[in-house]
Amino acid sequence: MNSHVPAEELDRQIENLVARKIAEAADASPLLAIASELQFLPDPDFRRRLVADLVDQPAAREASFVPPQPSQPRAATLAAIMPTLTGKRFSVFPADHRSFLVSFASHAALVLLIASGIWVGQRPILRTTELLSSKLTYFGSGGGGGGDRSSIPVTKGTPPKFSDQQLAPPAIVVRNPNPALPVDPTVVGAPQLKLPQSNQIGDLMSSNVILPSNGTGSNGGAGSGSHDGLGSGTGLGVGDGFDRGYGRGTFTAGRGVTAPRAIYDPEPEYSEEARRVHFQGMVVLSIVVDQTGQARDIRVARSVGLGLDEKAIEAVKKWKFEPGVKDGNPVAVGVNVEVNFRLY
Amino acid sequence: MKTLAREPDERLLIEAAQNEPARFAELYEQNFVRIYAFFARRVAAREEAQDLTSEVFHQALGSLRSFKWQGAPFVAWLYGIAANVLSSHWQKLGRSPAAEEMELSGAGGEIERSLMLAELVELLPPDQRRVVLQRFVKQQSIREIAHDLGRSEGAVKQLQFRALENLREQLGRPK
Repeated sequence: MNSHVPAEELDRQIENLVARKIAEAADASPLLAIASELQFLPDPDFRRRLVADLVDQPAAREASFVPPQPSQPRAATLAAIMPTLTGKRFSVFPADHRSFLVSFASHAALVLLIASGIWVGQRPILRTTELLSSKLTYFGSGGGGGGDRSSIPVTKGTPPKFSDQQLAPPAIVVRNPNPALPVDPTVVGAPQLKLPQSNQIGDLMSSNVILPSNGTGSNGGAGSGSHDGLGSGTGLGVGDGFDRGYGRGTFTAGRGVTAPRAIYDPEPEYSEEARRVHFQGMVVLSIVVDQTGQARDIRVARSVGLGLDEKAIEAVKKWKFEPGVKDGNPVAVGVNVEVNFRLY
Repeated sequence: MKTLAREPDERLLIEAAQNEPARFAELYEQNFVRIYAFFARRVAAREEAQDLTSEVFHQALGSLRSFKWQGAPFVAWLYGIAANVLSSHWQKLGRSPAAEEMELSGAGGEIERSLMLAELVELLPPDQRRVVLQRFVKQQSIREIAHDLGRSEGAVKQLQFRALENLREQLGRPK
């Protein structure tokens, strides 16, 4: 038989194969050979059960030491202890045994939830770190600007490389073509920050593709902003923000900027996948808390997988913050949020 | 080369599991199919293979702290446990296995093929994968599967056929 055997005929042969649990017909058809091999695959349900059993071992062991319950209490004793179950009066009102059953069922469900670790035992710990005051402070932060008050907008181009220190600001129109110590222009930001590069320094957003100009801004640099950066912002970086780095006006905590504070932070759920294998870990999210106290630009800085990254993001999207403040005004601030998933 | 590159990771995983038994789940996931496949071709019933697989992983977890990394893959240690478990199993049944049935080195090809097949089944389109698992692993009839899926028996047979064709094509494809 070849592989073009009709599905009906193939199934008849598979039926024989499954019934006899042998692979004697394997040579007759490549498909039948595969069918016979498939019988040796493990059952996914068994696979899941076994891993759950393995990682639950300590709990299972403790459960096995629970002392056996006494067999059946005598009816009189039962009636005395639990009058509601037997419907006897124990108050001025007649007892309804259904209330006992409802109460018993709800307590049993509660105990099961706790024992299974679905409820109390798996609450993750969340905390907002001290933010971005480390080497990553350039994350999402402001930008820069500059120019020499030209009447012509800055030339379209790309920014020079980022560097921790600036020896020469970006310039399209170089005022001193023969400096005593020639150095490459840079903008200030984490050196690992990469933006498109070309031979033409300028602002990517500019529409001036012909005339050389440092732009309409002031205090050096290039663009419509101020200071030795590039763009419409203020500072030594690139973009329409402040300070350094590249961004959209996002600050970092410190240096007169307060860190945002979570005021409503519902805890994320444990993912079913991670809970099943008792996986623990810490997801780190980089977020920007905007002026209104909402989290935006959420990205995973440290992933642990198994669905926990998504659960962390899902939760943080619901958070409300008291925004960071600079000079008495709320500002957008980049923060890292550690979402610690632990089982108890 | 692939094995060499994985060794440091595996060592870290073992050390993590030795300190925190819940991390054993990762070692389990990496080796489960191989250990199951080792038994599946040596015992008659699926339940028997499952019991023996379960025994291996429970023993492995129980003695994990005594495991010393010596450069050999973790699965080699598991195969050692598996061989002992199988031997005891046959002793209980009063059966003396043929030498080749206990031979581990010869089993490599079939085990790796089972592993590959298991991975390919995971990559099948969901409806084909479901039919394969219900038909060959759960050993349900076409009628039962059709009832479960709410489809005609002819449609289930077609899905089964296409799944086998897909697997044949993938197995024939050089890796």
